[in-house]
Amino acid sequence: MSPAALLLAAVLAGQLDAAAVGRAVAAHRGRPVVLTLWATWCEPCVKEFPALAALARERKDVAFLSVSIDEPGDRKAVEAFVADRRPPFPVYTRAPGPDQTFIDGVDREWSGVVPATLVYDREGRRVALLQGEHTRADIEKALARTKAARGAGL
Amino acid sequence: MRLARLALVTLGLAAAARPAVGAVAIGEKLQPFKLNDATGKTVDLGSLQGRQAVVLMFIATQCPVSNAYNERMAALAREYGAKGVAFVGINSNRQESVEEIAGHAAQHGFAFPILKDVGNVQADHFGAQVTPEIYVYDPGWVLRYHGRIDDDRSGANVKSQDLRNALDAVLAGRAVPVAETKAFGCTIKRVAQ
Repeated sequence: MSPAALLLAAVLAGQLDAAAVGRAVAAHRGRPVVLTLWATWCEPCVKEFPALAALARERKDVAFLSVSIDEPGDRKAVEAFVADRRPPFPVYTRAPGPDQTFIDGVDREWSGVVPATLVYDREGRRVALLQGEHTRADIEKALARTKAARGAGL
Repeated sequence: MRLARLALVTLGLAAAARPAVGAVAIGEKLQPFKLNDATGKTVDLGSLQGRQAVVLMFIATQCPVSNAYNERMAALAREYGAKGVAFVGINSNRQESVEEIAGHAAQHGFAFPILKDVGNVQADHFGAQVTPEIYVYDPGWVLRYHGRIDDDRSGANVKSQDLRNALDAVLAGRAVPVAETKAFGCTIKRVAQ
């Protein structure tokens, strides 16, 4: 395997349907989780990606996951994007299937808009749903809620 | 399967995250408004009273998802336009100029007006989040459908013709089978708050 292929193998983490997204989040029980849904064609997603990556590099106490909703035919664009940006978190792609099943399966309150960032506390409860473009400060604020929940004994 | 985009109005945190205020609900009456089209001509939605249905489509010139539907939107407008349905495009993206909108409409054979929603006033009123996002009103100007055009951005594997189903139901005086759907799409680029 070439170095480039090895790199892609390391960062492209396979396809997930909605149930598998839930399992991926649950696998990090005990840590807060930031799940981002995005696409290469989504300008605000691309814009906020560096901030997300920077935050992930700093917040080792938090598990970051991302799922690209690009079309299967656009996989090369996802691969190129990930190879270029080298995010410090796994990048999954969405498994083929009905849109609404995926959207509602991930979170019934998610409208389907991207980017969407969901923040879960240590017990896997979703404490924030940020729809559309948000700043690093917005995500940090949401992460603070996971601490508040723990502090409150929730 | 390819993804199309549109949005359901959501509650709580999602609503708090929205830069917009308000949202229309299924069963709510259309509040007519006037906007300039891409040629600068003022279009009064009130002039569409009496049509069999009114389809409002929040669309874009640069969004790949919206653009994937250009041919389908043009075809649906032709087909259902002949049945008395009025199609109206609305562009609320701050970065897409009227010149760009006019050129895009001509390039893709849009026979319907595209209104420029300066300051995303109507996007805020409707609660539209993405492009393309569709609102279908019946002859009594009651919202009967909100959501995506269909369930497959590519057009090759469409299993649910949501807009077509809604229009067929409205034209037949039946209940719309699925009044609200979700889909992925490009965020409407609003002006800074």
